[in-house]
Amino acid sequence: MKNLTNILFASALAVALTSCEKSEPAANNVTLHFNNTFKDKTIVLGDANSTQATINTSANGQTHQFSELKYVISNIRLVKTDGQEVPYNINDLDKGATVIDHSKAATLDYVLSNIPTGDYKQLKFGLGIKQEINTLDEVRFPKFYATASANDTKMMWEWGTGYRFTKIEGFYGSDKKPLSIHTGSTLDGKREDPSTYIPGVNAYRDITLSLSETAVVGKGSPMITIKADFDKLLSGKTNTITLTSGRGPNDNATPNIHTADQMVKFVDNLGGNSKNDNSGMFSVVSVKN
Amino acid sequence: MKPTISILFLSLIVFALACSREDAEENLNIDNPEIQLAIPLDFPSLNEAVHRNPPTLYGVELGKKLFHEKKLSGNNTISCASCHQQANAFADSHPQAIGIYGRVGLRNTPPLQNLAFIKHYNWDGNKRELEKQPLVPIITHEEMNSSILEAIGKISKDQAYQILFRQAFGDSEITPDRIYKSIAQYEYTLLSINSKYDKIKRNEGLQFSVIEARGYQLFKSKCASCHSGELFTDQSFRNIGFPLNPSTEEAGRGRVTGIPADYMSFRVPSLRNIAYTAPYGSFGQFKTLQAVLDYMAEDVLEADNLDPILKANGNRIPMTAQEKSDIIAFLHTLSDESFITPQ
Ligand code: HEC
Ligand code: HEC
Repeated sequence: MKNLTNILFASALAVALTSCEKSEPAANNVTLHFNNTFKDKTIVLGDANSTQATINTSANGQTHQFSELKYVISNIRLVKTDGQEVPYNINDLDKGATVIDHSKAATLDYVLSNIPTGDYKQLKFGLGIKQEINTLDEVRFPKFYATASANDTKMMWEWGTGYRFTKIEGFYGSDKKPLSIHTGSTLDGKREDPSTYIPGVNAYRDITLSLSETAVVGKGSPMITIKADFDKLLSGKTNTITLTSGRGPNDNATPNIHTADQMVKFVDNLGGNSKNDNSGMFSVVSVKN
Repeated sequence: MKPTISILFLSLIVFALACSREDAEENLNIDNPEIQLAIPLDFPSLNEAVHRNPPTLYGVELGKKLFHEKKLSGNNTISCASCHQQANAFADSHPQAIGIYGRVGLRNTPPLQNLAFIKHYNWDGNKRELEKQPLVPIITHEEMNSSILEAIGKISKDQAYQILFRQAFGDSEITPDRIYKSIAQYEYTLLSINSKYDKIKRNEGLQFSVIEARGYQLFKSKCASCHSGELFTDQSFRNIGFPLNPSTEEAGRGRVTGIPADYMSFRVPSLRNIAYTAPYGSFGQFKTLQAVLDYMAEDVLEADNLDPILKANGNRIPMTAQEKSDIIAFLHTLSDESFITPQ
């Protein structure tokens, strides 16, 4: 009898242990789901002749469509209802940054693991990468470097030795002229000392979003759906942009990187101007607990 | 008397200890002395990065080997020296750089000379320290198309490198930083200071010919407001209305700063060894020096931010045919044969 009790006890313990092991991390996941849209329509990518591609019209009446759409999310922080901020591997691009690639469904969900149990009211993240770690450091962050430099991703900006923060390829106007909008920082300086950052522009944008509903971490695994409304690219809170092709100082369609001052207008629309707009094209549409 | 003796004795011990420590260190460490750069009179001050990474005997030797190392490229065909060729004062003779698989880059390859005195590198000045520059060609699709870890993986198998890294840095570990530092150290030693012009300046018995002397006077009045000082550049960024690169990637310094006034501005190039570095211009627009001067004397491109010196002269630098050839004769006195000759 004693033996049996022991066996029972042992197996109960084993079950308890294994179930603990399984459920704990799962319960403390938070999934960020990105829905890339033109206004309320999820974007369908396509080339110039595509009949499927979503065609959007800007505030200035320019039609446009995308064939490629990518951006980098990093520096993720969740804020509890009591105001405590929980950083998620914010200085580790391998563990805390991702490339959202609209053509790869798996990249639209980014799972944050081991988030401390609690109630959360706010989400913060960066569109792009903050200057201190935007150095193409392959030794420190081999995984992110490999993702960003892959041939089908190309989120690396060689001459600036930094990452591309957004990469949009597509077409505009009735004659489907190419558009190619890339953003990234062109700063140079001692990484640890921002006062030395010259002479370029900082294309990193810090985003703050209130959650539409409290995300309860611990009991379940909340999924936060974030809308990235690319209608804002041309028709943003900060700038209303008309695309023009050519190589003049004000031409901005292909590729706009050629002048950093044109690029910044797109950056401010997508990620906010970091003055009175800190959400840009992003908003939280739902929290599923 | 007694205290003095003991002090003497004590210091003797200290002395002996210090000596034996030194001996021990000498056995452990390799003697890797700093190389003193011969800085001529009237040169501008060094880039402060040089003081943080002063060239050493083995650092430079390692940097030189890496500079000529084709394994830094994706398919082991291109080294830094493929584009930066000594015979061309470490530039090349293509209008735009040609890298791996014959891919054509955006810009003309500049000469590498006297870089220790330069404050902003590249045509648009986007890098301010030489140590931060080597990664760019290594990863650039049109240049070497590799990655720093890929390159390290390849060279770490080579015993010659293990020895050189130990000699240069104390142990044989190969890190990206050490690669960048040693290449920069080598580049700091690329000093061109022995042209005819230099020798005349130093009163070494040479003299300008009559034409060269006329050219020098003309140069001082027509060119030296930008190509100033002993490097023949004031290191500022200016738009002088050269024909524009057809690539929409190009915006000159405007690509970096985002300041409209920097649109299509480029760093004033040094004119040392200019006779060795044809073709000229940021994407090799001009085949010869004559073509550059013909263009400037005629009518440069109008632009809002065209340099005031050109604007004031009706978008040109007026020169007669004779003046042009005098100036070109002077420019040839800036050629430093010893610099383009391997030792
Ligand atoms: C495919 C040809 C090519 C290769 C290979 C190449 N370079 Fe260059 N290099 C260039 C061009 C073109 C520029 C001008 C770039 C610009 O202005 O954007 C340049 C610029 C430079 C400069 C700046 C010079 C100045 O006057 O400011 C340095 C230094 C330099 N290269 C060093 C290197 C080193 C070190 C390597 C090898 C790791 C290398 N290059 C490989 C073509 C090349
Ligand atoms: C207003 C300033 C200015 C003046 C004056 C000026 N230059 Fe320049 N020069 C520049 C700049 C800036 C560049 C690079 C422009 C570019 O590539 O778009 C340049 C380029 C050149 C080049 C091509 C160099 C190379 O490596 O490709 C030569 C040669 C040259 N200048 C010679 C002269 C001579 C000779 C004079 C006098 C007759 C002169 N310059 C007057 C600013 C000036």
